[in-house]
Amino acid sequence: MIFIAILIGCILGVILGMYAPIISYTYSSYLAIAVIAALDSVFGGIASVVNKRFDMKIFISGFFGNAILAILLTVLGQKLNVDIYLAAIVVFVGRMFVNLAIIRRYYVDKWSNKINEVKKIKKEIEK
Amino acid sequence: MTNKKTISIVLGLMCFALTLGICIQVRTVKSSNSTVSQNYEENNLRAEVLKYKEKYDNKYKELEKAENELEKERENSTKNNTELEKKESEIKEGNKIIGLAEVTGPGVIITLSDSKKDVNSVLNASSLLVHDVDVLSVINELKNAGAEAISINDQRLVPTSGIICGGNIIDINGEKVGAPFVIKAVGLPEQLSGLSRPGGYLQRLKEDSVGVELKKYNSITIPKYTGVISYKYSEVVD
Repeated sequence: MIFIAILIGCILGVILGMYAPIISYTYSSYLAIAVIAALDSVFGGIASVVNKRFDMKIFISGFFGNAILAILLTVLGQKLNVDIYLAAIVVFVGRMFVNLAIIRRYYVDKWSNKINEVKKIKKEIEK
Repeated sequence: MTNKKTISIVLGLMCFALTLGICIQVRTVKSSNSTVSQNYEENNLRAEVLKYKEKYDNKYKELEKAENELEKERENSTKNNTELEKKESEIKEGNKIIGLAEVTGPGVIITLSDSKKDVNSVLNASSLLVHDVDVLSVINELKNAGAEAISINDQRLVPTSGIICGGNIIDINGEKVGAPFVIKAVGLPEQLSGLSRPGGYLQRLKEDSVGVELKKYNSITIPKYTGVISYKYSEVVD
């Protein structure tokens, strides 16, 4: 159910994105960092769904809060001539890997449990 | 716990926004055709150039708007004065000739593109490419055939234009122009199409398997020169 919704969202986004007007190059670096932030939020959301700790308020506020903070940091970095956006990318991508690990562990556990059960049943039948 | 439906709707919406952002970003980067280089400094310089180009384009649009307004004002103020009207039409005529006005009329469009042949299949790989000299010769023949206005990839040729080799591109009016070269010329199409005569320059290019295409049109539009023509040293002798 959740993954079907994600898939539909992605497909709709691509279709609309093909025809959406392009933004000016000056702002493309801000959009890039916002995309990274959003990607992190989505992975975080899926991980919390898997952990059964999903909180709508935290998720939505995180989605917009992270993106806006990342953009503001990028603007500040350009004003100060420091590449702060690198820090944002490191944090977001690091968290993405952590969340991906949680998702992966959940499904690997599920899978190995299933295999174990099948083995048990087979053994019982053999007895 | 929130029910599964709302979770999936929210996650779907987020993914929608995410992929939309990615698509727009990818297309933006593609349209600015900036090649990402490993060199940090070079990337910064590239981004800087692109930003300035954008600023220039915006300013140019503003300028065009102001020019249109000026034109209107001029027309309004010269409406009831025959002498001024005469001068006005003289200015327009002059602009047409030196390339400061957009012109339209019958003519030909010549497209020169690099050969599609394999580089290893010929002795001289250089002959497969369209060079500045080739473009220059074609322009020369067009002028000889009576072309009144010429543009190359929408760069209008004016009396001060030069066509210079600039590596893998050529330099026209100080702007970089790359192959394929679309040369538009306004003039009598029957005369201009004489360029494809046997022994002409286009025929020689064809023999080198360079892509040559000449088409006659009843109406083509040639943009005006976007730069500034400044004459500092020459003065009119009375």
